[in-house]
Amino acid sequence: MTDQDEPPIRVLLADGQSLFRDAMRVVLEARPDFQVVAEAADGMHAVAEAERTEPDLALVDADLPNGDGIRTTRLILERQPDCRVLFLSEHEDDRGLIASLEAGATGFVTKGSPIGELIEVARRVRAGETTIPPQMLGTLLAGLIRNKREHDEALRRLARLTRREREVLALLAKGADNEGIAQPLVISPETARTHVQNVLGKLGVHSRLEAAAFVIQNGLIDELVGAEA
Amino acid sequence: MNHAPLVDERRPMRNPEVWLRQADGENVVYDPAREAVHVMNTTAVAIWVLCDGHTAPTEMIEAVCALSALPYEVVEEDVMRILDEFDRAGVISWTG
Repeated sequence: MTDQDEPPIRVLLADGQSLFRDAMRVVLEARPDFQVVAEAADGMHAVAEAERTEPDLALVDADLPNGDGIRTTRLILERQPDCRVLFLSEHEDDRGLIASLEAGATGFVTKGSPIGELIEVARRVRAGETTIPPQMLGTLLAGLIRNKREHDEALRRLARLTRREREVLALLAKGADNEGIAQPLVISPETARTHVQNVLGKLGVHSRLEAAAFVIQNGLIDELVGAEA
Repeated sequence: MNHAPLVDERRPMRNPEVWLRQADGENVVYDPAREAVHVMNTTAVAIWVLCDGHTAPTEMIEAVCALSALPYEVVEEDVMRILDEFDRAGVISWTG
């Protein structure tokens, strides 16, 4: 039951298949509490439409062309933080579920779900709830725990570095070579090289590229911000 | 607030003889040794999945908090009650 005085939920449909978008539009607009304000067939278009129409709710397909559903979710929420994202997937995909929630989605539905369930989840997500298929809860929690352990382990390794080595790592993560590290830190390239070797050893990685990936994959950029200032 | 698990915190582990069956929205744990059947709700099943002998109750609580945004104390009470019920039913043991 919905309140007739409430404004409708303004929806952006982002899915590569026009047939699915058409079906969803018909289904949603048959209900007075939904209004489809935009459609997009790819990720970049979805982000642009979100900026243009400021929807309350975005239905984002996992397999969106040109920017995939995870990246699209993240970009939509960067530009429209008040929007809620309901993530649509073909399958009960554990990694996709975790990635979508980490990107900021608060709902996850498989496309095989009954339409009534999708509508109800859309309402609950818009109302601020986090809604996922109950049968995926255990594996989701296990994934969250696994990610937290990995992040904690990365922080432990980062804590082995001196302040100077953190500065070096921050520059490494930006792709700097020995010269690019030496110049802002006012040290010689040889000293920079020594610091780099120490950083690699303490992090337990084998290359500069691996060190940069360590920072990015573990979301440690913020931990290093300021170290290079 | 930091609720990091204590190093020596005990970890619950599923009894390997017990198996979970999920069908038609129902979750049933069957214990052949005791010839007992336990019907579980969604949260209990999720906690059951996490009873792998490696995951501490504190980690379970923190993960549920991260997902639900419920207060730590509320989640802690629920998780510990579920684990206590598992323990009394004999479907888990404790390691560590």
